[in-house]
Amino acid sequence: MFVFLLTDLFFYIIILTLLSYILYVRKTPDLLETWSYVFKNKTGALSVLVLSFFMIIALSDSIHFKNKVYDENNKKYTYTSEISSLLDIILLPIHENSEKSYSSPFSSKLYSKETVKIDKDIDKRVYPKLKYKGNHNLYSEKNIQNIFITIIISFVKTLFICFIMYLIIFYKTLFKNFKKITTYFLRNKFIYLSFFIILLIFISLYDLSIQYYVLGTDKVGEDVLYKSIKSIRTGILIGTLTTIVMLPFAIFLGIFAGYIGGFVDDIIQYIYTTLNSIPSVLLIASAILMLQVYMANNPIDFENVYERADLRLFFLCMILGLTSWTGLCRLLRGESMKLREIEYVQASQTFGLSKVSIIIRHIIPNIMHIVIITVVLDFSALVLAEAVLSYVNIGVDPTTYSWGNMINAARLEMSREPIVWWSLFAAFLFMFILVLFANLFSDAVRDAFDPRANKNYE
Amino acid sequence: MNKLLSVKDLCLTIKSKENQKVLKNISFDIHKSEIVSLIGESGSGKSLTALSIIRLLEKSCKIKSGKIIFLNKNLLSLEERDMRDIRKEDISMIFQEPMRSLNPVMSIFEQLRESYPKKNKIDIKKNIISDLVSVGINDADRVINLYPHQLSGGMKQRVMIAMAIACKPKLLIADEPTTSLDVTIQKQVLDLLVELREKLNMAILFITHDLAVASQVSDKIIVLKDGKIIEENNAKEFFKLPKNSYSKSLLESSVYNRQFFNNQFNSENDILSVQNLKVFYQEKKSFFGNNSSLLKAVDDVSLSIKPGMTHAIAGESGSGKTTIAKAIMGLTNITSGKIKICDKDILNMNNSEIRSFRKNYQMIFQDPFSSLNPRMRIGAIIKEGLCFLKPEIDNRTISSILEDVIDKVGLSIDSLNKYPHQFSGGQRQRIAIARVLVLNPKLLICDEPTSSLDVTVQKQVLDLLLNIQEKTKISYLFISHDIKLISNFSDTISIMHKGRIVEHGITSDIINNSKNSYTKKLLKSVPQIIN
Repeated sequence: MFVFLLTDLFFYIIILTLLSYILYVRKTPDLLETWSYVFKNKTGALSVLVLSFFMIIALSDSIHFKNKVYDENNKKYTYTSEISSLLDIILLPIHENSEKSYSSPFSSKLYSKETVKIDKDIDKRVYPKLKYKGNHNLYSEKNIQNIFITIIISFVKTLFICFIMYLIIFYKTLFKNFKKITTYFLRNKFIYLSFFIILLIFISLYDLSIQYYVLGTDKVGEDVLYKSIKSIRTGILIGTLTTIVMLPFAIFLGIFAGYIGGFVDDIIQYIYTTLNSIPSVLLIASAILMLQVYMANNPIDFENVYERADLRLFFLCMILGLTSWTGLCRLLRGESMKLREIEYVQASQTFGLSKVSIIIRHIIPNIMHIVIITVVLDFSALVLAEAVLSYVNIGVDPTTYSWGNMINAARLEMSREPIVWWSLFAAFLFMFILVLFANLFSDAVRDAFDPRANKNYE
Repeated sequence: MNKLLSVKDLCLTIKSKENQKVLKNISFDIHKSEIVSLIGESGSGKSLTALSIIRLLEKSCKIKSGKIIFLNKNLLSLEERDMRDIRKEDISMIFQEPMRSLNPVMSIFEQLRESYPKKNKIDIKKNIISDLVSVGINDADRVINLYPHQLSGGMKQRVMIAMAIACKPKLLIADEPTTSLDVTIQKQVLDLLVELREKLNMAILFITHDLAVASQVSDKIIVLKDGKIIEENNAKEFFKLPKNSYSKSLLESSVYNRQFFNNQFNSENDILSVQNLKVFYQEKKSFFGNNSSLLKAVDDVSLSIKPGMTHAIAGESGSGKTTIAKAIMGLTNITSGKIKICDKDILNMNNSEIRSFRKNYQMIFQDPFSSLNPRMRIGAIIKEGLCFLKPEIDNRTISSILEDVIDKVGLSIDSLNKYPHQFSGGQRQRIAIARVLVLNPKLLICDEPTSSLDVTVQKQVLDLLLNIQEKTKISYLFISHDIKLISNFSDTISIMHKGRIVEHGITSDIINNSKNSYTKKLLKSVPQIIN
């Protein structure tokens, strides 16, 4: 049975908007030309590729359902109260079992000694062996050799998958125009090569983590790699959902302030100056506290843990959105003030067009580039903001997988001896990759949309 | 006379444009204390030539071959350090836009100080003051403590010139130094340059698109087109008898011949009549409502236009010409006065009446680069007003009207599907004309429609406007600062100064025997081609 959490619905809406924007761009020649600069730029193309892998993971983690189980007592099928996502099913071999406690990456033993009875009266302090992974090498007894062979097998698998995709895409012209296809591949060799490498990394990580804890385990013995992958959805959701909340405020208030001016401008300016001067951490903390009190008073409405965690995530996005529209609003106000005086707007005024239709026909299309640039730039800042907020305990629910929670937990892990570094490292690595490529992408977008930038790549 | 600078076979390419040569084998000489004018339309490579002499080209420009020899040194093979010395001592340059060439946070004294050799402060101050006096700033003691925004455009350009001549250069490069200035100030600056040439015995490379300005100052004329030298000639001979056909067309395009409809001064009612129009702006009221001073943009102006006539408003920048146009079009609030179009008072109309009436009067704007929405197709741009003001027309008629009008302004039908950036300035102005023509207005307000265009393109656009007038008997309210152009183009004229009309009447009367002193001064400062 499918379950739709609140954030899932919004995530679908985001994906749909994204797809319809892509369709719209394909229909509009000048937008298509601008966007094509993003893909002509190598870093731009690579970052689009990496980000779309992240998006696919987040999407597959947003399709939730309840499992059917056979109830022995009632002799019929019932649904569990536990909710799992498509991604959980795919990654089932990685996370179905968990160990007792910490273990380091690729290790076959726990990280701390335990007392084990060897004989009747002899106790010994040893590192106990892991129960589920690390000791069950498929291909070889030696660790390094086994890892190497696993990667080679993943390489073959990747080649096979790529070949199948190639057959699907080019099945029509497969044997007719071989030369044409080779030149096509050679021309786009960079993008195909990077696609291949990313796919290879994914598949070999999957294969390895069936046999090992690639990034170790955490305090309760859960695979850290799995936790980091699950956190992708939280990060992306906060980055995008917040933007969706913020955009209407920023666009409409910004344009009204700039275009209509006068009294309206004064009011909007006072609103955002006031909002800007309230410390946003304070606002967020109070909003989250209010929500918690509300949930504690109405326990019937929130029957399971998942819905509570989800609502808290949703609320966090809302409140982050409400506090972060001021910057873009200010930019758009200035831009529409400039556009108000420009001659094509005045020309439409001489035709007697109403203010609303001038805004829709002339102002909005001409400020969209600023919106796109700001949104892409803000995305990475918001992913980082989540980590900071979770660290001070006002971010997402502690049961939600998120990089911020991982970092928060790592505070204690770093202060024990010997230190547990892999939890922090994993959160850092994933966040770094996502934010880095989001930044590279925004750079490429800004270059493409900036009329003054030099657009001669290569 | 001996050679000061000689450019030999200079070739230059720009990286982005498929390594196309932008300058092709440019060679010319400049002798000591000679004024050489480089003339050409925009994009002909005038400024690039100047910048390659002083070696301030952008990085994307590459000099492929050629020599620039200045006092036996090849400037192109000098080290950057030595070149800096040359810029410091021998060659200096003044730019087109005085507003942007001065640093707004430095006082005039600090700016000028940079260009003097290091001495003690008092000496420098003395030098600066004497130089400022020599460029015609009489109260130099006061001016050196001011900041750029406190000076007028002409003063700023004088300061720029003072800065350039501070090192007593042997060669001064002047890149369109008067283009952004009003005619009266233009004349002062030109006179100053000629005077300084004699005083300091320096050569001037004068870059301009305006033949009349060039004829005022120069000894030698070089005409550039598409990066090539078309003609190089002594100034006197050039203006008497240009050899090249392109130079001839340049000279001719500054002259318009118009059949005057003088016989139509009949009893017909006025198309437009403006009575006692006043537009005052209040300097922005502070939050607590302190009243501040009034700015009288238009003060008690009256004018009228008969059907099929062209009335011109001339004046310097800031005289309120454009405000009148905006007031008529309803783009600005009117303090008092009456505006009647076809005997109907448009100020007393309600919204729906004015909407249906708007098709009778329309406006074309100064800058064709900003008057078309860059994200709309030409078809949609032209259609916008039509769809809104005449909603009764169905789609099929619209497309036939569009094809008709785009043909009328001399563009091909497939341009309807293109975007504005695919057109040149002149073509864009045609599109702007097409946009208002589809409405068949009775009155068209033209706000400096040609001032941002090259002379030859300017002529084409004006010819188009004349052509339309002959066919449709439309009336024009033509606003321009270019009196030479207006005198050939209009039937009646009003001269504006500081928001007031100082003189009005039939154009030929005013041009030939004006009574007002301001008009006389204005007419006198208009540069004429000296034959």
